[in-house]
Amino acid sequence: MLTRGTLIYIAQRLALIVFTLIAVSFLVFVTVHSLPGDAFESERVHGKALQLLLHEYGLDRPILVQYWSFLTNAVQGNLGVSFQIRGLPITPLVTRELSVSAELGGTALLITIGVGTTFGVLAALRQNTWVDYTLTSIAVVGYSVPSFVLAGLGVLIFSYWLPTITNGVISYPAIWTGTYGTLVELSLPAIILGFYTSGQVTRITRAAMLEVLQQDYVRTARAKGLKSRVVTVRHALRNALIPLISILGPLVISIITGSVIIENIFGIPGLGKRFVESILSADYNITVAVFTVYALLIGIANLIVDLLYTVVDPRIRY
Amino acid sequence: MTDAILEVRNLSTHFFTDDGEVKAVRDVSFSIAPGETVGIVGESGCGKSVTAMSVMGLVGRPGKVVGGEIMFRGRDLLKLSKEEFRNIRGRDIAMIFQDPLSSMNPVLRVGYQIDEAMYAHDKIPRDQVERRAIDLLAQVRVSDAARRIRQFPHQFSGGMRQRAMIAMGLSNKPDLLIADEPTTALDVTVQAQILELLRDLNEQTGAAIILITHNLGVVAGLCKRVLVMYAGEIVEEGTVEQIFESPQHPYTWSLLRSVPRIDARRGHRLLSIEGLPPDLIDLPQGCKFNPRCPFRVERCFNESPPIEQVAPAQYAACWVTMERAYAEMGAGDIIDTSPGAASGVHPAGRTLPAAEVPAALAEPVGD
Repeated sequence: MLTRGTLIYIAQRLALIVFTLIAVSFLVFVTVHSLPGDAFESERVHGKALQLLLHEYGLDRPILVQYWSFLTNAVQGNLGVSFQIRGLPITPLVTRELSVSAELGGTALLITIGVGTTFGVLAALRQNTWVDYTLTSIAVVGYSVPSFVLAGLGVLIFSYWLPTITNGVISYPAIWTGTYGTLVELSLPAIILGFYTSGQVTRITRAAMLEVLQQDYVRTARAKGLKSRVVTVRHALRNALIPLISILGPLVISIITGSVIIENIFGIPGLGKRFVESILSADYNITVAVFTVYALLIGIANLIVDLLYTVVDPRIRY
Repeated sequence: MTDAILEVRNLSTHFFTDDGEVKAVRDVSFSIAPGETVGIVGESGCGKSVTAMSVMGLVGRPGKVVGGEIMFRGRDLLKLSKEEFRNIRGRDIAMIFQDPLSSMNPVLRVGYQIDEAMYAHDKIPRDQVERRAIDLLAQVRVSDAARRIRQFPHQFSGGMRQRAMIAMGLSNKPDLLIADEPTTALDVTVQAQILELLRDLNEQTGAAIILITHNLGVVAGLCKRVLVMYAGEIVEEGTVEQIFESPQHPYTWSLLRSVPRIDARRGHRLLSIEGLPPDLIDLPQGCKFNPRCPFRVERCFNESPPIEQVAPAQYAACWVTMERAYAEMGAGDIIDTSPGAASGVHPAGRTLPAAEVPAALAEPVGD
C-alpha cells in the first residue's frame, strides 16, 4: 500500500542516499588522489611523457576541479575512463561486473534466507534436542570462521582432494571459465559467501522464534485447533520475521564485503575483484566508481529493508 | 451425572521444572452439564488456568497431565491422538484468554483471525465463513463489523478486542466455552458489558461456559455453580447462592470476607487472608490450607480432608467446615484471622494453654 506518507518517506530517503553518495565519493576521491605516487607509477614513465599522460587524463588540475568534473560526469552516468586500460570507459565495465557480483551475492542472499530461517525455525521447534545442537553448532561455525579460511578450504577440498581421490570424476574448477559462471561454478563460492550470514540468520531466527512461541497469540492459535504447521509459519514465523528484517541491512553489507574476498579467491570477474585490482594498480577512477556503487547498493538495500517492515508489521507506517 | 458434557475425573497436571515437580493440579474432579455456567475461582497460582489448559490439551513442556480422565461427550480426550484432539479443540471446546491485546496476533487482520478458526475445522461451510465472521462480530456488538474485520488488532480498543476474541471462540458454535479471566484486563464498565454478552450468548447458543476468575463479583453475575480451587485442588463446590451465603470451607469464607463491600458497616474491617498459597513443589502435610486457616484443628496438620457433601449439591473438603466454626469458634465475630487464631491451634500443632481456650474447643474437634 503506497500511501502519500510512504511516498514522501521514500523521497526523503532517496534524497539522503544522493547526499551520502556525494559525501562518500568526495571522501574517497580526495583520499585516493592524495596517496603517494600516481596512476602511471608502475609504468615507469617520467618527465615530459608523464606530464603529457597526466594532462591527457586531467590529473594535473587542482583536486577540487577534478572532483567537480567527476561529479558532473557521474550524474550523467559517465564514471570516467580507466588509466591502466587506456581510455576504457568505466560505466559499461562496472555495470557488467556489478551484474556478475549481483549473481553471486543474490544467490548467497537466497541461501542465507532460505537455509538460515529453516535452520532457525527447526532449532527453535526442537529446542535443546540434538537437532537444535547440530544446527546451532553449524551456525556457530558459520559466523566464527572467516570466509577466506572457508574459501581456501573449499578450494582445497573440491579442486584438489576430491578430484585426486575420485580420479577427476568430482572436480571443481577453481577459476571461473565464463563471465557469469555455470551453476556448478557458482555454487561453491555462493555457499561459502552465504555461510556467515546464514549462521547469523539461524541465530536470530531461533531466538526470535523461541520468544514468539511463548506469546499469548500463539497459544490462541493453538486453542483454535489450527494445524501445527499453520501455527508455526503463519502465526509464529510471521512475527519472528520482524527482528530478522532489522539485521537484513547489515547482512547485505556482509555479503558485499565478503564478495570482495570470495571473488578474488575464486577468480570471479565481479566488482569485488575489480575493486582490489584497481587499488593495487592505482586506477583511481575505478576505485572511486566501485566505492560509489557499493554505497548506492547499501543505501538502496537499507531503504528496501525499512519498507519491508511495513509489509510484515502493519503497526509500522511511515 | 452421565448426561454431563464434560466430566473431569481425578485430573493431575504437574510441571517438571529444574527446581522440582510442581504439582499444579492434583486429583481434580468436576462435571459440566450442557448449557451450564460454572465459575472456577481461587487466588493466582491455584491451578485454575492449568485445569483449563489441560482440558484444552494445551499444557506444554515442562508440564504434563500425569493422571485422570477428561471425558468430553463420553470420549476421554487424553486417549485421543494429537490430530483427533486438534479437531475438537477450537471446534467443540473453545477458549478465550485473559489479555485480549497479547492474545491476538498483531500482524494478521481481525477478520482473518476469526475466519481461520472456521477454515481449520470445516464445521461451517467455506462459502459462509466470511459472512459469518461479520455476523459474529456484529453479534458480539462491534459496530461497523464489515469494516472492522479488515482492520488489525492494534486498531481495536481493549473491549473490542475481547469481543473479537469471543467471536473467534464462538465461530464454530462450540458446546463448551472456557473463558480464562476474560474481564481482568478491562475497565469496569467494559467488564460488565462483556459479562452481559457472555450471559446472552449462553442463553442464545446454549454453549456451556466455564468462567475462570479470581473476581467473585464476576462469578456472581454470570454463573449458576461455583468451584473453589486452592493449591491445585477443588476445596469447595456448590451453587452460587450456597457459596455466597453459606460457604463451608474456611478458604471460601476468607475469600468472601476479603471482598470490599460498599454496604459494609462503618468500622467493619476488611479481612485479608494471611500468608501466601503453599509452594506447589513442597506441599504442606494434611489440609493444604492449614498454614493460613484460623479454624484449623489438630487433625488438619496430618490428614488431608476428602471432598464431602455438606448440603444438597454442596461439597467441601474440610475437617471443620464453617457451620462448626460459627457454632463453636465464634467465626461471626472474628477479628483476628491469623492462622489458628479462632481454634487456638498454633503452629506445629501446639494448642494454647487450656485457660485461654473456650471450653468447647478443649477437646480436638473430630468428625
